[in-house]
Amino acid sequence: MPSRRRRSFLPRRRTLWIAFLLAPAALIMTAFVVWPLLSALRLSFYSFNGLRPAGFAGLENFRQVLIEHPFSDWTYNALFHNVVVFLALMVFENGTAFLLAFALLKALPGHRVHQVIVFLPVVLSAVVVGFLWKLLLHPLFGLVNQSLALVGIGAHAWLGDESTALGSIILANIWHWLGFPTLVLLAGMQRIDKEVLEAARLDGAGDFKLLTQIIWPLIAPSVTIIYILTFIGSFNWFELPYIMAGLTGSPGGSTDVLGLYFYRTAFGSTTTGIQDFGQGSALAVLMFILIAGVTWMALRILRRREADL
Amino acid sequence: MTLADRDAATHGPPSARKRGFSLGDGAIQAVLVLNAFIMLYPLFVMLMSSFKTNAEIFTSPFALPRSLSPANIEKVWNETNFVRYLANSVGVTVASIAVIVVVGTMAAYAIARYEFRFSGAVLMFFLSGMTVPLKLAIIPLFIQLDTLHLIDTYAGLVLVYVAMGIPSAIFIMTGFLRSLPRELEESARLDGASEWRIMLYVMLPLARPALVIVAIQNAVPIWNDFFFPLILITSDDRKTLPQGLTVFMGEFTTNWGVLFTGLSLAALPITLVYIALSRHFIAGITQGAVK
Amino acid sequence: MNTRRIGLTIGSAIAAWGLAASVALATEISFWTWRQEDKAAYTEIFSDFTKLNPDITVKFESFPDENYPTIVSTALAAGRGGDVIHTHAYGWLEQFAKAGYFVPLDRASVPSIDNMPADALVAGTYRADGRLYSLPFASQTLGLFINKDVFAKAGLTPPKTWDEFLAVGKALKDKGIIPLANGLGTSWFNEMFVAIFTNPFLGPDFVGDLTSGKTTFKDPRYVAALGKLLELRDDMPTGYEGVDYDTAGQLFLTGRAAMLAGGSFDISTYRSEDPGIDMAFVAPPAPKAGAPAYVTKFYDGGYAVNAASPNREAALKLVNYMGTKAFGDKLSALLGDISPIKGVEIKDPMLAEVAALNRTAMPHINVVYFRFQKPTGSELLQGDITRMMAGAITPDQLAADLTAGIAKWYAPFQGK
Repeated sequence: MPSRRRRSFLPRRRTLWIAFLLAPAALIMTAFVVWPLLSALRLSFYSFNGLRPAGFAGLENFRQVLIEHPFSDWTYNALFHNVVVFLALMVFENGTAFLLAFALLKALPGHRVHQVIVFLPVVLSAVVVGFLWKLLLHPLFGLVNQSLALVGIGAHAWLGDESTALGSIILANIWHWLGFPTLVLLAGMQRIDKEVLEAARLDGAGDFKLLTQIIWPLIAPSVTIIYILTFIGSFNWFELPYIMAGLTGSPGGSTDVLGLYFYRTAFGSTTTGIQDFGQGSALAVLMFILIAGVTWMALRILRRREADL
Repeated sequence: MTLADRDAATHGPPSARKRGFSLGDGAIQAVLVLNAFIMLYPLFVMLMSSFKTNAEIFTSPFALPRSLSPANIEKVWNETNFVRYLANSVGVTVASIAVIVVVGTMAAYAIARYEFRFSGAVLMFFLSGMTVPLKLAIIPLFIQLDTLHLIDTYAGLVLVYVAMGIPSAIFIMTGFLRSLPRELEESARLDGASEWRIMLYVMLPLARPALVIVAIQNAVPIWNDFFFPLILITSDDRKTLPQGLTVFMGEFTTNWGVLFTGLSLAALPITLVYIALSRHFIAGITQGAVK
Repeated sequence: MNTRRIGLTIGSAIAAWGLAASVALATEISFWTWRQEDKAAYTEIFSDFTKLNPDITVKFESFPDENYPTIVSTALAAGRGGDVIHTHAYGWLEQFAKAGYFVPLDRASVPSIDNMPADALVAGTYRADGRLYSLPFASQTLGLFINKDVFAKAGLTPPKTWDEFLAVGKALKDKGIIPLANGLGTSWFNEMFVAIFTNPFLGPDFVGDLTSGKTTFKDPRYVAALGKLLELRDDMPTGYEGVDYDTAGQLFLTGRAAMLAGGSFDISTYRSEDPGIDMAFVAPPAPKAGAPAYVTKFYDGGYAVNAASPNREAALKLVNYMGTKAFGDKLSALLGDISPIKGVEIKDPMLAEVAALNRTAMPHINVVYFRFQKPTGSELLQGDITRMMAGAITPDQLAADLTAGIAKWYAPFQGK
């Protein structure tokens, strides 16, 4: 780096300064996240007798959740749904957010009110959103079916039918979170130098060209944040499906995701049976490897894209 | 000149940009209005439902409630420690956010603005906290807090929230701080400003949009969380609002009206705060960088 | 003046000391439960207990049902938790007993054990050491709710046999009434639904063969019973796949449906929601006329003493009280629970009917025998049954999958 800086800032003091900046966050995280997680993850190598570890089991728990029927079926079923959720959110949530952000960028009359409104559901809890959409999607009394009945479409059990249950929960999730990517992308767009946009306009660029060739490349940092948070969010998805479809991913496991499967395995549910910390921890380790690995690769690729632009 | 004026000026009058393929302002406005309806109508339904009886919800979901009877609200008010829960939630949320913003920003600043060995590894260390469900660690976490005599205390809860909030705070702040230009920092350094001053007075004011995003992004899950208080807090005096209401609503599992009253009351404080502060908040997120 | 002040000071000091001493003598113990809705009843029961034991007060602490296992296992692992813990029965209890988190109960510390029938004690006993860890609190009966008003208006009589059930179903549908309110939207209830309608076809002989290792779920009797369930689809509400148990209850209460497969645990709920309802709780349809009418019965849970409790004596006293007739009478009267305690009078006529039905009862097979290790029969069946009802798998495939899953940990099924 520039030699100028090194001269004005002695290496020793610099190290101390950096350590001072990092220490509080590192300490708190180590004490209340890293250490408890490591002690829990250790359990993934143990077999269990009831709630207590019974002995070292090597990779047995991993073998069970990855290869042994029926556990492996449940694992891959859940993983597949996580992938579906991620892709759906990337396309529909982030896509809509991008277009909405562009619409808001135009600063038409009332744009401030629209910004407030689109973000309003974000402040609600998943419990509120889950119950609300359960009521709206209710097969007999729900507003969605009642509205469809007005135009002559028959009632449908949105959350009860295996083919529509996951999609319905994803829609509720989009309604809940749409404001977040919208405002982050809008923030990114507003950071673009106004002269650049103006110059493009004067060159005769239409909205489509402006979006794809000017705005999209220039908001790369915001896009990176949204991509990564969407990925992590979809693979840790838990609360909304939990409230709307229950711990077992009803109906018939069609809404089961890794978060639910892990929680139900580790802590049991009063109505399906017993707890298995060993298997549950193994699932969490696998989730960690998957999410951290992909995040790390994606960050490298996306940051390179940012640098190239 | 206000920012809205500036936006209007840079975009120019509609006639100036009718070249190429452009969406009409009318079409855009229509999309925004439709979106607003989709966002607001369910909330309206929720509010209305909290004044209804089960029978009303089931037989006439579209209709306005027969009366704006406060019966459901009175039930929540009389049978729970509502004000106490509310105060606890406010205290815990504000304290957690404050600590998250301070320590998260410090760490992100170190990672984003200085080059040092292992900075990539340090960032990954922090980010890894986002990638595993902390629920898994609830038993060791509980034992850890018990050893430190932090079970059933505000401090214990706040520390857990801070630990959970740090990773995403660092992630967002690092991204933003990295994108700030080097020039300002360098010239301040040439003027002899200390690192401390540069961080506090030169760089962080520029990162205001990210700070607002971090605060909001953490406030929402912390305010709404009921899982950790359920396990870490036992005294009724220290319960948070979602926790208190979750326990209360458990007594009325089939009474949708009471349920929605509880949910509306839990959501109302943060919604009102958001609406009241939305001008600053939106401005903070979307316009901070222009300054 | 001065002496008076000194006297006052000494007097109040003595008073304060006396007060402190009496506070120190009284022990407050806590009772943990997931039954949030039972708060009022337990508060009354605990005040009765304190009248008998003036030195002990009991605090009722309830937690959301779905988080209860997490909360209890976390607290117990850290050596904390309530002094008396409300537990679920069978496999759920066993994992805690295995870990040594509960105090074994015996006749010396809890004499009221003698008031319990043998099948109730099984629900609270750890199979490996044969000791009792949780004093059973209530049995639950699964059967059929009948809305008598709806039947009267339709001019029909409630069905007793399977064929009658199907015929009545057709007649009700013609009149625009949903015959059976149930759907499959609540997975924990799906398992109950299966038990209710299959048990009359299975009979006690099948249970004997199954638990002695003579047969598995692939037994033709079980597959045939599952096949019967498919015939019920026509009688269930439109979109039944997504109708959850709460909604089914509403359909039944509002008279839109005539019958509801449900549990005795909901009798009091339905009554409090609609005090005027004229309903009956009967056995599900028998395979043919003259065959015994079997309801399904299981124990819900019990009361255990936390091994880490600093107030073990007081906690044991409370659990002992929870095995007495006085407690059982109150439990039945206030909560409509059917207490297993000998000599408990059931005054409510409807609950008395349920108690009578219990004389020809089948066990809830999965809950009682196959919830001890992973994968539990419950999680296998709850997932598969919706698929079977939707036609994605056949009863044969369900039976094979259930058997293969349980065979992972249940030796008698292995290799079959």
